[in-house]
Amino acid sequence: MGKDVKRERFQTLCQTLRPDLLRFAFWLCRDPAIAEDVVQESMLRAWKAHDSLQDEAAAKPWFLTIVRREFARTFERKRLPTVDLDEMVAHEEPALGTAGESELEELRAAIFKLPDDYREPLVLQVLMGYSTAEIAAELELTTAAVLTRLFRARKQLRALCGEDTTLDPDA
Amino acid sequence: MIDCSAFRRALLADPHDPRPELAEHRASCAECAGYAQRVLLFEERLERALRVTPPARQPASGDMHEGGRDRATTGAGAAGVAGTAGTAVAARAAGARAGGPAGAHEASRTLPLRRRRALRVRGGWLAAAASVLIVLAMMTSLWLAVPHASLAADVVAHMAGEPQAWTRTGTPVPAGQLDRVLREARVSIAPGAPMVSYAQSCWFRGHQVPHLVVQTEHGPVTVMVLVHESVKQPVRFDEGGYRGVLLPDDAHGSLAVLARDRDADLDAVRATAVRVRNALVWQG
Repeated sequence: MGKDVKRERFQTLCQTLRPDLLRFAFWLCRDPAIAEDVVQESMLRAWKAHDSLQDEAAAKPWFLTIVRREFARTFERKRLPTVDLDEMVAHEEPALGTAGESELEELRAAIFKLPDDYREPLVLQVLMGYSTAEIAAELELTTAAVLTRLFRARKQLRALCGEDTTLDPDA
Repeated sequence: MIDCSAFRRALLADPHDPRPELAEHRASCAECAGYAQRVLLFEERLERALRVTPPARQPASGDMHEGGRDRATTGAGAAGVAGTAGTAVAARAAGARAGGPAGAHEASRTLPLRRRRALRVRGGWLAAAASVLIVLAMMTSLWLAVPHASLAADVVAHMAGEPQAWTRTGTPVPAGQLDRVLREARVSIAPGAPMVSYAQSCWFRGHQVPHLVVQTEHGPVTVMVLVHESVKQPVRFDEGGYRGVLLPDDAHGSLAVLARDRDADLDAVRATAVRVRNALVWQG
């Protein structure tokens, strides 16, 4: 395959996957600017390693893994600044939500409050459509551990959002 | 048979868990059925909340300049539309791979975030003018893209409310129910269409629309007959674990056809969409 064709296919792939990768990175690092940097660097790494991607159908999980690693590298390189969650949600990037969607904003604020260990599998499941087994493989956990985290994530979210939790089972 | 606590626990871990014992319990326990419905509604909100709009690339940013310089320094002038992520990345990577001065230059530009942000601030008037043009171009393309994207997103969001529709089965929906659902949309289905295992009339974007599930060799595929939604050309989408296509249907709006498997073969989904579209017989 010619270099130009490869580049063109890679560009198309990036353009197709970029929205989902940005969303994923955003929920990992909670900052749209850092998310964009992480995705940009991930795409650079992906381009350098794109020969190892044999099947384009598997591109999305391949990219997501690169984004996760790049995020981890970013975190290692520099201690990410901690932020006050309430303040951050109050000043949330306008592009990230539609004004007036107060219910969704409340839910987003609650998602931010989840521990990272709960938020990441939840995002992989709900947003990326990963199965429990796929999440377990990606996060190097047992399926039982993934199910427990997903259960606790939703349980906490429901409580944070004022849902009726009287029928929720105990953790 | 599982008990209520196990059912609810499984539901909170995965509201779309397709295990038959969960469906059995839900059918036999009214309290858990109500609980499941509330959890699914919450799940729909959760999915919408997570699907934030990704920020558009900042055209006045350092990345933009980098993209421009990249093309100049690496000779990748035909790299495509300025500002698209793939282009900038491919051009940067090409420079880095070259290993020569351009590559070294690229590598040296992997700067700490704070430094890169400082560089971004130093844009000149030319960059600002270019930025305005690019923003306009991006807004135009976004404006063109949004109706399709939001229609697909709404279709996907609708799926969260009816997980039971995705059962793989060899039993067709009763003919009377299928007729009733289709009649409301002034359409019927010709013999020879794929087997329909589920048919409901659903409220979608202000209208009652037929929501069908057809069984294919690749598994169940959902078809929504969207008489009131037009698309100019087939649009493929891959959102929230669903893959599908929006297919125009001349004077009768469009069809949304999607599979739940994120590895679903989009060509097969599209082939199903075309078969269903060809089987629909419109009454007026």
